[in-house]
Amino acid sequence: MYALKMSGVSFVYEGAEGHALDDISVSIDEGEFVTVLGANGAGKTTLAMLSNGLIPHAIKGTLEGSVKVFGYDISKHTVAQLSTLVGMVFQEPESQLFCMSVEEEVAFGPENLAIPRDELFKRVEWALDLVGLKGLNERSPATLSGGQKQRLAIAAALAMRPKMLVLDEPAYALDPVGRIELYALLRSLTEKHGMAVLLMDRDSENILEFSDKVVLMNSGRILTVAPPSEILRDIRNFRAIRVPPPQIFEIASLLNSRLTGVDFSFTTLDEAEAELLSRVPSLPRRGDTR
Amino acid sequence: MIPKPGADRSKRMIEMDNVGFTYEAGVEALRSVSLKISSGEFLAIVGGNGSGKTTLAKLMNGLLRPSSGSIKISGAPAESQSIAELSKTVGYCFQNPDHQLFCTSVEDEVMFGPKNLGIGLEESRERMERALSLMGIFSLKTMSPFSLSLSERRRVTIASILAMTPQVMILDEPTTGLDADESSELMALIRKLNADGRTIILITHEMKLVAEHADRVIILSDGHILLDSDVRGAFSDLEILKASRLLPPPVTLLASRISSIGISRDLLTSDEFVFELSRRYGSR
Amino acid sequence: MKGVFDLYTARDTFLHRLDPRVKILAVLFLSLLGFIMTNLIPLFTLLCFIILLLYLTRSTFSKAYFALKFVLRLMVLITVLWPLFDQSGTPVLAALGPIKITEPAIWRGLTSAIRIGCLATVWYILMFTTTQRDLVRALVKMGLRYDFGLALAISLRFIPTFGFTIESIKDAQRARGLEFDKGSIIRRSKNYIAVLIPAVVYALRTAETLSLSLQSRAYGARKDRTYMREIRMRSSDLVSLVIVVLLFAIPAVAKFVFGAAI
Repeated sequence: MYALKMSGVSFVYEGAEGHALDDISVSIDEGEFVTVLGANGAGKTTLAMLSNGLIPHAIKGTLEGSVKVFGYDISKHTVAQLSTLVGMVFQEPESQLFCMSVEEEVAFGPENLAIPRDELFKRVEWALDLVGLKGLNERSPATLSGGQKQRLAIAAALAMRPKMLVLDEPAYALDPVGRIELYALLRSLTEKHGMAVLLMDRDSENILEFSDKVVLMNSGRILTVAPPSEILRDIRNFRAIRVPPPQIFEIASLLNSRLTGVDFSFTTLDEAEAELLSRVPSLPRRGDTR
Repeated sequence: MIPKPGADRSKRMIEMDNVGFTYEAGVEALRSVSLKISSGEFLAIVGGNGSGKTTLAKLMNGLLRPSSGSIKISGAPAESQSIAELSKTVGYCFQNPDHQLFCTSVEDEVMFGPKNLGIGLEESRERMERALSLMGIFSLKTMSPFSLSLSERRRVTIASILAMTPQVMILDEPTTGLDADESSELMALIRKLNADGRTIILITHEMKLVAEHADRVIILSDGHILLDSDVRGAFSDLEILKASRLLPPPVTLLASRISSIGISRDLLTSDEFVFELSRRYGSR
Repeated sequence: MKGVFDLYTARDTFLHRLDPRVKILAVLFLSLLGFIMTNLIPLFTLLCFIILLLYLTRSTFSKAYFALKFVLRLMVLITVLWPLFDQSGTPVLAALGPIKITEPAIWRGLTSAIRIGCLATVWYILMFTTTQRDLVRALVKMGLRYDFGLALAISLRFIPTFGFTIESIKDAQRARGLEFDKGSIIRRSKNYIAVLIPAVVYALRTAETLSLSLQSRAYGARKDRTYMREIRMRSSDLVSLVIVVLLFAIPAVAKFVFGAAI
């Protein structure tokens, strides 16, 4: 079964003129890590909010096409019903954490679903352990660091035991190390817990390491859906969506266009090191006169 | 006419001597920070979240006052000057434009600073128009700031600081939330401000940005200066970068790994890397 | 910023452990006592009792000082001003033109000041020893609708955040040369527009994400919501409740049934 299947989806926000999404069709398998890449205004947030029914239930507009999560049509189920299938993490860490303690924050969702108390305790401990916030139960969310806040938002979503997690640029305010830590956490959710992850992002640097599939978006349309290794075959993929390519890959493409007789295909640091060390010294040297 | 700040490199704009800062709650945010910033520099202050970057910057324009040590702005002790007085020399542009925009039109927004400084209407208007032109948003003059995109709003906030004609501009994470195109357009404008002679202090954790634009880097970690050097020097010290929760751009990592084939270790951008290789080996 | 709004100090005292509902009832009863007592000595005894309880909260001095300084000022003000407005009774102790100071007025002023002192300080017993979280839980348990309880909790949670944002906005405007404390009163209040508007915009944006976030976590999905932490009345809480009721009932009965002068 698909975790998410969108067919011919278009959406126009109420009062807006242009399409936020324009004839989108895409599917995500269970347990798959999918990164959606696109610049501002590409439609990433709209896509995210469709996947748990916030659109059209909470945010109004004209929706065409069908969106199904794990076989359920989002327009026929409430956001609350869908919340046990799809967990949502927003961009801004501060405003999605509204409880007075870490523990309450995580328990909030399951409490709304009337999960029995014994189970609540288990879920809270499980979710906090998973995101690495164990032992901070009594802390106020406001006092956590930026990275911890996003982890807490993830734990709060996980406590609903969803089968897919959708995140809208969760790393945008994090420092580089915090960003990598967050991606690694998400990756572990797919690997250890079989969860599907749909990550909206505008940073391509880590797609190869973490994603199974990459969706390239521009102005409300999907341009390409492919595994990262395929996306990393043509630099034009990145130009088309106005997102900078991973730097190592960019170097390979630039070298191929500038140097004669080379056809580098490296995409990772290790590959680059190996290929360059073996190929470059045998290339004809330019005037060694300098 | 806006006086154009001259880029006299020998002029000390900011001088900090053994500055420490402790917040009321007893949190020591900075300790024994000493630095000198000259006119016309393009300096990046980098460090992970919570490293003390913003605290350091706020001390430079008087929003915070040091708990110990002394600060001189343009040669004069900062302590005897109000924030408003300091803002004529050191402009501070906050990260979130929504924390300052409040006027009904872009022009009012940009004239707000000059008016606060007691500049006459006529000159305020001139300054506003010039600042808008410098940020490439003259056409938005009569628009409401709230109807603009994030990228445009950020330019308005920078213009509103520019209109106060400071010689030093502190820009706190100016590219947060912008996509690559918006970000490089903005950085091109900021470079132009620098080329005109203004001192630019960029606060960021985006090392790519630093590599592409700054001349000098101050790495902060845990409230003290870990490194103060030119950009190349900073990027060749991978251990220090890691220790301060920063990641060097992949190109720098690659260059250091393959330095045995005779390319320099301190390459900062893809273009530099490719140029360096193609300078030595056969090109089309 | 946080300290201003959150008077709670984490300690392990009897008062901290007490069921918050018992504490709320105790504070209510003690306030009622303050209302029904009219004589100086009983009121003074009540004030001493409240101060004893406050001492037992082991709150930090700075918080206690912050909280109590307003009350103290108010009490001094009432004591001093009362005789100036209440000129009934004899003997007259001093007279200056139309103003005369009478002895009963001085006593009445002192009594009123102590009563106000009791009514104002008694709430700090609750605030010093109960987390905002437990307070809201207790109110919900005592019958407040969950939605209202949640709204109250969210407001309390965002007060410090909002405070930080306002500080940041003020800093941003100061960096644009705005001097908040300069100029006439009108000028000064006008300055605050530059803070107010961005703050409102921020609040609206936060509210929007907040609402989406609440919905995404199944808020309002079912009527029979469960609670991870339940407040349970333990035997010691029950005993305390009995003591609280007696403390209130004995003086009340003495006054209203037997006409005791308290």
